[in-house]
Amino acid sequence: MTSQSPVGGARFTRRKFLKATGGAVACTVMSIPGLGRAARPGAADIGTNASSVPGVASQRIDGMAKVMGEKVYARDFNARDMPGWPQQQWHAMYLRALTTEQAFEGLDLGTLAPQARPTRVVLGNELSGTLRAPKLLFNRDLMLQERIAQERARAPRAKSEGSVGSFDLPSDMTFDLIVLPGNVPNYLGQAVALLLFDNLAGFRAAKLAIEFNDAAYQVYGSGKEDGPPLGSAFSPQTTYVKYGDDFSYAKADPDTYMDQVPAYQDKIRTTLASDPALIRQPFQTDMQAMDPMFMEPEAGLVWIETDTGTMNIVLGTQSPDGDISNILSMYDSADAPIHLKAVNLTSCYPGGGFGGRDGSPFSLMLALAGTYSNGSPVRLAYDRFEQFRVGLKRHGAKLSGELAADSNMKLQAVQMTLTFDGGGERNLSPYVASLGALCAGGSYAIPMADIYAEALHTENVTGGSQRGFGGPQAFFAFETALDDLAAARGWDPAELRAANLLEEGGTTVVGGPVEQSLRLGEMLKFAQRQPLWNDRDAIRQDYAARGLIYGTGIAISLQAYGTSGDGMVASVLLERDGSLTVQSDAVDMGNGSATTLGVTIGPILGANAARVDMGCYTLFDQTGLTTQDPDGVRWANPNWTAKSVGSSSACLTGLHQVHTVQQTANALFQGSILAAAAQIWGVASLPPSDVVWRDGTLGRRSVGGGELSLQTLADEIYASGLPNGALGHAYFQNSWAAADFPTPGGLLPLQLDGLSFYQPSGGNPVQVPRQGTVGPDKASSRYARYVWAPCINVVGLTVNTSTGAVQIENVLSVLNAGHIHVPQLVSGQSQGGVAMAISYTLLEDMPTGMAGPADGMWNLNRYHVARAQDVPVLDGYEPGQRGQQLFTLEPSQGSAPVGRGIAEAVMCSIPPAISNALRDATGKRFTSLPITPAKILEGLGQ
Amino acid sequence: MTLSFTVNGAAFQLDDSRSDERLIDFLHEDLNLTGTKFCCGIGVCRACTVQVSKPPNPTPSPVISCSTTLGTLDGSDISTIESVANDGVPDAVQKAFLDNFSFQCGYCTPGFVMAARMFLDGLRAQPIPQDQIDSAMMEAIGSHICRCTGYVRYFEALKPLAIAANAGDWK
Repeated sequence: MTSQSPVGGARFTRRKFLKATGGAVACTVMSIPGLGRAARPGAADIGTNASSVPGVASQRIDGMAKVMGEKVYARDFNARDMPGWPQQQWHAMYLRALTTEQAFEGLDLGTLAPQARPTRVVLGNELSGTLRAPKLLFNRDLMLQERIAQERARAPRAKSEGSVGSFDLPSDMTFDLIVLPGNVPNYLGQAVALLLFDNLAGFRAAKLAIEFNDAAYQVYGSGKEDGPPLGSAFSPQTTYVKYGDDFSYAKADPDTYMDQVPAYQDKIRTTLASDPALIRQPFQTDMQAMDPMFMEPEAGLVWIETDTGTMNIVLGTQSPDGDISNILSMYDSADAPIHLKAVNLTSCYPGGGFGGRDGSPFSLMLALAGTYSNGSPVRLAYDRFEQFRVGLKRHGAKLSGELAADSNMKLQAVQMTLTFDGGGERNLSPYVASLGALCAGGSYAIPMADIYAEALHTENVTGGSQRGFGGPQAFFAFETALDDLAAARGWDPAELRAANLLEEGGTTVVGGPVEQSLRLGEMLKFAQRQPLWNDRDAIRQDYAARGLIYGTGIAISLQAYGTSGDGMVASVLLERDGSLTVQSDAVDMGNGSATTLGVTIGPILGANAARVDMGCYTLFDQTGLTTQDPDGVRWANPNWTAKSVGSSSACLTGLHQVHTVQQTANALFQGSILAAAAQIWGVASLPPSDVVWRDGTLGRRSVGGGELSLQTLADEIYASGLPNGALGHAYFQNSWAAADFPTPGGLLPLQLDGLSFYQPSGGNPVQVPRQGTVGPDKASSRYARYVWAPCINVVGLTVNTSTGAVQIENVLSVLNAGHIHVPQLVSGQSQGGVAMAISYTLLEDMPTGMAGPADGMWNLNRYHVARAQDVPVLDGYEPGQRGQQLFTLEPSQGSAPVGRGIAEAVMCSIPPAISNALRDATGKRFTSLPITPAKILEGLGQ
Repeated sequence: MTLSFTVNGAAFQLDDSRSDERLIDFLHEDLNLTGTKFCCGIGVCRACTVQVSKPPNPTPSPVISCSTTLGTLDGSDISTIESVANDGVPDAVQKAFLDNFSFQCGYCTPGFVMAARMFLDGLRAQPIPQDQIDSAMMEAIGSHICRCTGYVRYFEALKPLAIAANAGDWK
């Protein structure tokens, strides 16, 4: 029996045309083949349909497929599973650079057994220029893009002054995908050769011979350095200097901001020096890199049909849009071996992400392998050793600086230098550093700030996007320093925080206004009243009576969600059978986005979605919108938007993606469904306030009877040619772009900047001309971020001073998550964040260089991540028992029912809370992550 | 010489030249059963856990298929995640994990399901004092790595089933 699955990539063929040198390339997102093929009674009893209550999820919509072991991950697929693909499949293996001190000269595979010999070996000198070093785009953050453009414009002048300060290789920086023989590798783990095998047995034999012994097959000698030296800073660096209301990044003229910075840095120094009564608290912290350790090592398939120029690719990625654009850039030159005309992406559910699949180099390496397989499909599937060796990492970092406060506990200044180990490739490192700089102000109102953040090019494994995006490092530095300040003065650490909390109406260290209710004061008071904090002295005595050393720590984070400008696209379709489908550019890495988007239309359309298609970034091409603005007229152009879509982050679901889906659902409801209802009921018009959904049928408030099911409404819509679906695009930058749209149901004011309607007759959706557009002003793009998910964590722990072992006993998290769409998903994200933070703080120990995973011999036997026994698994608080509690704020009365991005929020303040608890327990400050037993014993002088 | 075993009730006979091959590779490549997940490949994370019964011991035990060679499985009955549901209807463990939102990315879930089922079978066969259930659960699934959820919801889902199984009420 075949049943339709409620989840997938795209069921419909939706194409996006990207411009390339050789003409437009059609990009299509395909559905996961065979999903839902397992025999079961049908889609109606699974996923969100299991809940009869619109707006309520009783299961994850992707849950059934996952719990049954169906093929949903890229790793599950071989060419034989892909409809229309050749069965003969090749296998790819990359050999990785072992040094950055000698030149790679070539391979010596002479000792490989005959059955292990590759079918084809590809070295760097066989690649065309763009294939070897494609122009990569990481358009993560509009503000950063603007800054890059400014710095490029300034570069000639800076160069003439003798100091560029950073580097930015032509078009956004990349090193060779495969090292040119004769060149010194740019970083450890950079590919030096591609080995291809036309059969699995040969691949396995080669893997057995080469893995852990790859030095035996690589030849190194003298050669030339290619590229900037190790230790150079990736461009751009971030400087945030704030001097009261006089000067800040947000307020200053962008063209002269950096020129004014030195004078204001002097003013800050002078101001601080003029008041000897100020308390100065220096700090210095460092942390190692961290592997996201998502459970599914990266894997994928590629098949290039050379006769048609079509690339078929199977991927599990957080950034389908960026990945495909970057892949296309590999082939965008006259000397490219293949000129692509089409890309078909099968977007699979990632087996975990946490940012590690956002802009991952894996997609490029997979696509590259497809070029050399003589037209056969190729599988590239990292094992865990390879994943550790080359997968994107959370940056190792060093942070230092000083806090200054007056005797009334009022913070006056923060100075912080954040240096991130960017590793080999640029990737998203400058963006991470930049957000880290914003987080360097903590959750507090601070009049003066002098913050500098940079990411350095080093030989280490490339750093990239990771849960928290610079926040965990910055909050650790700030919140531990704050506790040290409190301890030095004998102040209560909670009271010190309470005296300085940032609230609505304040400004960040960037100088941008906080125009959102944070409620940090209310949250802190609540946390202080909880037994874990309020009874901490008694709890300590209780543990002491049992011979255990116990401590309590508190820390606060104010993690932003979204970027400095976010575009999202979604469609909502009323199917012929009356069921509902949601499509979104978002990707569900496990965070539950698909489930949330599926139920969020329930209250609007009377039922939850029966199907949710994710990763549908190509929908943007059907909106009729453009991001090109040659005349600089911005919103005056009715087809302009500031950003199409971005990569997928869990933090974008609660507000951004939900908003887009809801507004689009509203457009369908008011623009078509109400018109259909009016036709059936024979009334001229039907305001939304006159109708109500009851048990999945639409009724009139003032007139009994005549309730209409979605099936009946679909019958009318399809018969009368009313729109059967809506396609919406939204843009957020401190506020939503909004416009009026003429529809069959009247002129609709929507917080969308693009709306199209699907017609029952099929074909592409028809754009609805927008009117009276009001878009965010340009100035707000300098605020860096606009919306926040505050979180307060209290940690209670015990320390074994003989072994250095730490056990987390209790965690209390107080979170402002805004409106909660699916409570189980929010608490699950929080619990996951707690576990990952404990792991990051205490367990995950990753040395740099060849002492670390770059040597290809790291796995979970050496890199320890938290297991259940490392985490308090009881949900709640009971004295004497290990447990964790999450309290979420009830939304303020009258506030809009919008959520906040919470995936990272809980994680960010756990590490400093642990360090603060350790200080409370032992009297020693531990500033270096991970805080291993060896460090604790050393700190205790044992 | 041949190796004989069953997978989800289907009998297989292989030349013993394949003795050194890993069970997970056989499941994935020969049978296209990819519900059993590859993660670390060295038997640490337990995502690849399957159920194996081998006479004369009738009690099934969890086996890490990434680190188990076919040669050790001669005469065994192997069950994978694909065998758990009954005609497409999830079993009690799968349903509990679904209802409790126990997993997120879901990649570790088949391993948790298989380990939990064997744990519950064991409890029903040999009940333990009620106050030992938490530690028994930790023993059974505490070594499995989940990177998304923080484990809380797996334990919450399993506990009522464990109490029931301990009272003889399972399956």
